[in-house]
Amino acid sequence: MDDSAKRLLQRLVRRIPTQMLRDTLDKWERLTAKQREFVDFTQSKWTITQELLAVCEERELSVKHIAELEMIYVIGNPNQGMWHTFQLVDAEDDAHSLELVQFKEQFKSHLSELKRNVAVKIKKHTDEAVWIRIAWGDTFSRPNHLKATYVVHYLQTPFVFVSGLLSKHKPLLLQALTLSTRHQGIKDANLSGQKLTAIRDLLMRQYQHVFPTKYPSPLAERNRSVSSFVHLDPHIENEQAEASANRHRMAGEAFGNGMLPALQSAVYKLETKFRDLTNETMTERDKPLRCVVKFSSPNILESLRHCASTGIASTPVTPLLSSIPLKGRNYFVITDNAPSASSQMCQTQD
Amino acid sequence: MEGVSTRGVLSHLSLLEDQASSRGSRVLQQPCRVKELKAKVEALTSQRDQLKAEIQTHKNLQKLRPSVDKRRVAGEEEDMDVDSESSELLRLMARHSELSDLLHAHHLIGGYDVIKTRQGKGMCFSLATAYEGIYLDTYNLEIDLKPKVRITRHNIPPFIPLNNLAEQSDLQTGLRAFLDTVSQHLNAFAGRKQQLQLVKEQHKSVEVMESNLLCSILVLMFTVPKEKTHMLCTLEYTNHTRCLPTRVHLESEDKRLPDAPQWKKNCSLLTEVPVHRALTAIRKSRDIV
Repeated sequence: MDDSAKRLLQRLVRRIPTQMLRDTLDKWERLTAKQREFVDFTQSKWTITQELLAVCEERELSVKHIAELEMIYVIGNPNQGMWHTFQLVDAEDDAHSLELVQFKEQFKSHLSELKRNVAVKIKKHTDEAVWIRIAWGDTFSRPNHLKATYVVHYLQTPFVFVSGLLSKHKPLLLQALTLSTRHQGIKDANLSGQKLTAIRDLLMRQYQHVFPTKYPSPLAERNRSVSSFVHLDPHIENEQAEASANRHRMAGEAFGNGMLPALQSAVYKLETKFRDLTNETMTERDKPLRCVVKFSSPNILESLRHCASTGIASTPVTPLLSSIPLKGRNYFVITDNAPSASSQMCQTQD
Repeated sequence: MEGVSTRGVLSHLSLLEDQASSRGSRVLQQPCRVKELKAKVEALTSQRDQLKAEIQTHKNLQKLRPSVDKRRVAGEEEDMDVDSESSELLRLMARHSELSDLLHAHHLIGGYDVIKTRQGKGMCFSLATAYEGIYLDTYNLEIDLKPKVRITRHNIPPFIPLNNLAEQSDLQTGLRAFLDTVSQHLNAFAGRKQQLQLVKEQHKSVEVMESNLLCSILVLMFTVPKEKTHMLCTLEYTNHTRCLPTRVHLESEDKRLPDAPQWKKNCSLLTEVPVHRALTAIRKSRDIV
């Protein structure tokens, strides 16, 4: 086993919690059962590393195999690191009938044309996601497996999720993706987060939306969550029950019902002029006041929904907040020219 | 036994005594009670009159409805004894009730239904999907009507090319055509997805090698017991408005096997019949495990 393989294995053992390490090794299927039993997982990480190194040497495993192990771990635990979303635009006619085998071949060939010495591994997961691991090298150096980029794409959708990408590799990756998915362009989707599952669920609309409807859905049962806590005791009557129910309904329509995808931040970059009648010095300035507002929460969509349904945020929910699930983005630039944004700004300052 | 019956009789007698004494006190309450009852009678009478009037209007509407369809001349409505203004109103009401019933029927047969939102400036469509008599997911589309017809909100997954479909059938003039196309795509997708689910449930010996979110491609691996070999079956659903594949391709390690007459038959069966049912038939004929 060469140096890079050893270093990668050491890194992995340090990074992966012991219990998960055991499960990941099982899924990897590169070690025999006897070898897996040989490794004593109750020992310190250092000991485990030494034992694993020995066992991998026996099997003559190379850095490519260790890279496979890392990929299995990341696929099983995708909610780490920082994922950024890109959106493919202007699909060609045959984009919609793109097959996995075609995509794999094309991506590998396009990327290796653009950059020499890249190690690419593509794996299809059971939920139809195509995972790509790229270790970048160049004309003079071998692929660096310690800083691999991960890409997740669902065929026939316009979204690509990327993690661990350096800016110098960005144009190459984006071009390879655009060509191999048969599109003409790709742009930043302004949605990023630590939890891949959350941003994916948001864009795939995999949560419970609320729409005004005359008839309840044929499969839905009566949803009692809203009114139940109000009417548990028939002797207690809620003042302003109607207003409260309205707020709940509007909050539900803006954000959704039930469990919402766990987005963890929303960033608003303001490039608007300062407006405050009591502060003339600031208001006189011609240039916009640059300011960044960041909302953070373990689950920001549920927090915002709660704000709206309890009345902390005014309803109907302002487009500034409802755009997060509606447009599927959590980074916004607000300028004075945007009519809806600026009118909301005026309102909030009253 | 006697003790029980004596007790029963005694308690009954005391009950009667109580009733008699309370009836005495109730004599005083009678005028109030009478007033109450009279008020109730009045309320019920007025409710009855209201209901009678509604029934009458409905009857008139029923009479009017066939005439709205065939556009009969006003002269034929003389037997209802109404003047021209309210006849116009009645005609509109008839048309309105006819359309609501049509919408309700449309909803019952699994078509989409629509509700007005934002004080008439928008509409929300609910498209139900079903396959083989089972209701599957419902999708919704919220559409703004003014100043231009445009889609504001929806929960349709991104692999259904909604924007392309909206461009193809001009939203401003062909909203119904657009909705029909979307409903077709969604129902076909739901059907294909359901077929894949049934294949996984009912045919565990068949391995699903490849599929995708849109369920537009399916690659299955069969085990052929007689020749002790495997057969790879690729089903391509290039027409996304259909539940049946457009092309079925068979491949095997034994190159001559896909050309055998039995397999040619199976191949054409897979293009004509939903995949889970075709597999049941093929397995029954013992061609595959």
